[in-house]
Amino acid sequence: MSPALAMTGVSKSFDGFPALTDAGITAYPGEIHALLGENGAGKSTLMNVACGLYRPDAGEVRVRGERVSIDGPKAAKRLGIGMVHQHYRLVKAFNALENILLARGASRYGRGLREVEAAARRTCDALGFTLPLDRPVGLLSVAEQQRVEILKVLVEGARILVLDEPSAVLTDREAAQMLDTMRRLADEGCAVILVTHKLGEVKRYADRVTVMRGGRVVASADPDAVSLSELTSLVVGAEVHHARVPARRIGAPLLRFAALTGARADGLRVLNDATFVVRAGEIYGIAGVGGNGQTELAEILMGVRRPLSGSIELDGAGDLCAEGVRGRGAGLAAIPADRAGYALAGSLSIADNYAAGAVLSGRFGGWFRLDRRAIRSATEAAMAAFDVQGARSPNQRAGLLSGGNAQKLVVAREFADPPRAVLAHSPSRGLDVRAASAVHARLRAARDAGAAILLISEDLDEVLLLSDRIGVMSRGRIVAEFDTPAKRNAVGAAMVHHA
Amino acid sequence: MDAPSETAPQPARDGAAAARAIPPAHPSRRRLGRLSVGVRQHASARLQGAVLAGGLLTGLACAAAILVAAGIGPADLVQEFVVAIVTSPESAAAVLVQGAPLAIVGLAAALAFRVRFWNIGIEGQMIAGAIAATVVALHDIGPPALRLPLMLAAAALGGSAWILGPVLLRLRIGLNEIISTLLLNYVAFNALLHLLYGPWRDPENNFPNSQLYEPSEQLAELGWQNLTWALPLAGVLLLGGWWLLSISRFGFLTRIAEANPRMGEAQGLPMTRVILAATLASGALAGIAGFMICAGAEHRLTQSFASGYGFSGILIAFLARNSAPGVLAVALFVGTLFVAGQSLQVFYQIPASAVQLLQAVIVLCVAASDFFIRHRLRWLR
Amino acid sequence: MVLDFLMNWLAAIPGFVVPFALAALGLLLIEKAGVLSLGAEGFMLVGALAGIGAILGLGASPLAALLCAALAATLLSLLYAVLVVSLRVNQVIAGLSLVFLAQGLTGLIGTGAGWVNRPVDGLRPVPVPLLGDLPLIGQVVFRQDTVVYLTVPAFALVAWLLARTMVGLRLRAVGDGPDAADTAGIGVSATRYGAIAAGAALVGIAGGYLSVGIARIWVEGMTGGRGWIAIAIVIFARWRPWSALAGALLFGAIEALIPRIAAAGIQVPQYFIAMIPYLATLAVMVWTCLRGGGGSMEPRALGRAHLREDR
Repeated sequence: MSPALAMTGVSKSFDGFPALTDAGITAYPGEIHALLGENGAGKSTLMNVACGLYRPDAGEVRVRGERVSIDGPKAAKRLGIGMVHQHYRLVKAFNALENILLARGASRYGRGLREVEAAARRTCDALGFTLPLDRPVGLLSVAEQQRVEILKVLVEGARILVLDEPSAVLTDREAAQMLDTMRRLADEGCAVILVTHKLGEVKRYADRVTVMRGGRVVASADPDAVSLSELTSLVVGAEVHHARVPARRIGAPLLRFAALTGARADGLRVLNDATFVVRAGEIYGIAGVGGNGQTELAEILMGVRRPLSGSIELDGAGDLCAEGVRGRGAGLAAIPADRAGYALAGSLSIADNYAAGAVLSGRFGGWFRLDRRAIRSATEAAMAAFDVQGARSPNQRAGLLSGGNAQKLVVAREFADPPRAVLAHSPSRGLDVRAASAVHARLRAARDAGAAILLISEDLDEVLLLSDRIGVMSRGRIVAEFDTPAKRNAVGAAMVHHA
Repeated sequence: MDAPSETAPQPARDGAAAARAIPPAHPSRRRLGRLSVGVRQHASARLQGAVLAGGLLTGLACAAAILVAAGIGPADLVQEFVVAIVTSPESAAAVLVQGAPLAIVGLAAALAFRVRFWNIGIEGQMIAGAIAATVVALHDIGPPALRLPLMLAAAALGGSAWILGPVLLRLRIGLNEIISTLLLNYVAFNALLHLLYGPWRDPENNFPNSQLYEPSEQLAELGWQNLTWALPLAGVLLLGGWWLLSISRFGFLTRIAEANPRMGEAQGLPMTRVILAATLASGALAGIAGFMICAGAEHRLTQSFASGYGFSGILIAFLARNSAPGVLAVALFVGTLFVAGQSLQVFYQIPASAVQLLQAVIVLCVAASDFFIRHRLRWLR
Repeated sequence: MVLDFLMNWLAAIPGFVVPFALAALGLLLIEKAGVLSLGAEGFMLVGALAGIGAILGLGASPLAALLCAALAATLLSLLYAVLVVSLRVNQVIAGLSLVFLAQGLTGLIGTGAGWVNRPVDGLRPVPVPLLGDLPLIGQVVFRQDTVVYLTVPAFALVAWLLARTMVGLRLRAVGDGPDAADTAGIGVSATRYGAIAAGAALVGIAGGYLSVGIARIWVEGMTGGRGWIAIAIVIFARWRPWSALAGALLFGAIEALIPRIAAAGIQVPQYFIAMIPYLATLAVMVWTCLRGGGGSMEPRALGRAHLREDR
């Protein structure tokens, strides 16, 4: 049987920087093929070549045995290659059908819409999707939007499906559903390529795995034949230790959330009477299906959203939700989930981003004159201490940093003074293994220095790994608490049963 | 330190290896090769300077070409735009007189842009400020010795009051300020017409102007040419603007408000207050510019004293990259265009609007040159 | 007396409404593709000059002159498109500069060619047989010129185009989600060029109608800020074609009313009445904002340049 997609010797460089060197992948119909690697390993770049967004500098692409030149998304579509991007490419104001019609094209609008609707309903039935086809996709949940994307490429007639980090934004259950769907599609003869950096997914779902590192393919194997630690070392090049380090000394309650109630921007009440405490010297992990109030909880704690009622008491600082009180001044550090939104200004320099944390403290000069030299030297020291790499100087734009280094910069700023309380919201999302463990180490160090740490994560593995106590959040409140080590299944059951 | 630009490339997202994109080729054109456009992440200062100078020179060349096409000899151009300004004290003074209010409106625009607030309503704020100042003048509020400072303060207040609504609406409910400030220009202008055709019509000659200000309500002359105290006032305001934007902590906060106010908010920085302060200062400066023209040049409130200044201010701030020294330089340059344009009008029957044409051509060339700083072009085969 | 006043007012309304309506329709087309168009006044100015120029310089018929107006505005719009679509110049700066450019250019050319204050034979009313003889309504609706009659069909055409055709779907996609449109294989730049050119043509006709249809004379800066009002109308209408026509009617009716009130010697603060449309637009904007998304058809990518830039 000829492979559905065979890419060989693909090289691509951006701006003189090689992103792909002699890379490739061979995917057969009927299989789920995982493309595994750290951030920046070149997985997405390779797949963007396959779907016509990038043109390779060198290399050969064969589709169903025939040599092809994919010079644009249209060509890829004609060849039956469909890609679900990590950041969905949907027109938010359009409903699912209009989005599909847009991608599929038609000579006449009315007839095209009818055809698309029929095809979409057929596919939905076949895959067991429940999806409102007539609502603007901007109003749909992330998982539903992903289904629209999958529906879109299927209706376009894709037989080679590429999904870029499809489970990054999904809960365990949603991810399992999605991957089951992929299994079904593979069984029907599609070739499914799963771009991921989650080893567990690879082990559970993939028929083959191609591992990339530094723009090159380092291995192609049967996932059942390699152990998890072998896979890990293939991905990162060296073995990384995953071991729980429990808290040494847990003190008195430091951060108290009392009957916190809050609403989303659109008025929907998503935080309902959330009550719990975080003690000094512990990491309190909040697990839960996404969209159960975690984001709003984090935003209220950061001071960017006001609660409807309730309070957050930080010992010695009073109610952080009160007018004029800012957690920042009381020793709160925050690593928000939405880095580009709340943590960094990509168009400003690294130094400016670093200085933003302490500019009001007077350390960098008073109101009359800002001390740029002090900012520069403090930033240089912090970059060295926190291992922020990939920047020539502190004056370089922060937006140029890779995800891991950007997160390290955030941590460097937030931990510039020893914090009393820390909010860490999905602190390793999108980071590779090494950067994630560096961030985790910093959190543990702050905990052991006596800080109260609130970890919010939709990645259950991360919560289980880091937390000293786990609270499960559902419908805006803490519905169960677990001491650690906790059973994964028990926590997972609490997450789902209360949803 | 861009103008607050919606077109600025989005900060690279997580894990951004310096990835650039290449548009798909059209198969038919493939053999000819094609132009590939990518975002340039980092441009050296030398490159930026060279490209900007190139844009400016192209703009000047286009402007000169237009005037030559309109029938003015190249030698006359040099005479009017360079020689006359440098050699004749009258012209030099005229440039300063023109430049002072231009610098202030430029600074007003720059302040608002620095917190990503598109203040298109500078003309409305000028009118509001001038009306407020004229209230003080016509009603003889305060002792004559304090009349001018009072008018100044009233103008600043009037200007800020006129921008307050759009700012609050933007901060509270996210209303687009481009349109709201633009609309308020028309409201202010109609209010001005109402006053000038109604209660404030000059009783002496029945023209739709206000009465002449009394001498204590006019900015006094400095004693050289026709320069007035408007010039030192502009100088002080520019100095203050330079300090505010480039030296003070407030200037740093405006940069965060421009780049990512949500990040500033999460860092506990008072972003709302920074945006409010910068925009109110912008409105106040616009109001002061209105006062400056009325009390320094026209000596009365007229119908069209503000006409064209608002957009000039925006373009000046853009060319000056929102910096106070830049505003000074560009304002003087535009002032030169105005003065030379006036003599072109007299001697060559070139309409006054030609000055705007020149401004536009230069701004567009410079703006277009920005593309070559922000992007990288390659010819692919 | 009251009836005369009313008739006089109503009959004058189409003359005020049509330039607003056509300009707003053109802008709507441009903005639906995600391009902010503060340069509307510039397109109108060029259209007004080109219309008169075609008659005085080329001896064109009034309708041909309107075509020239459309052509001239399209030409200028290509410059705008190159700047904001290809060179990704900030759209506010480019739009304002364009107005300045057009003011200067039309002034220079118009006075240079000696077209100032030279009356021309403009468009003539074409009474519709039978209907034109109806009392009241006949005079108001059915004794107008060709452009007035064509305005409503033009709106119907654009509304249909946007809502019920693939071209419209692509245009809206480019304005709402250029990244998505790009991935779908739609040429974002090409679509925006097309929308800008077509929209500018309509705005140009609106300008030409001012000089050729209404004033039948050209003076410098004769559009008198109507382009800016058209921008307000588009926002007032929240980017919906038929609401834009209603908005043009409101603005036009008030514009037509003001001089007639003054002429009739009625003592009302006419300049306050002139403020009403602007305040009404502001009120609509505030209302839309307060009510939250959903209802507004504002293109999400409005004002943002597009460049395919993956992570």
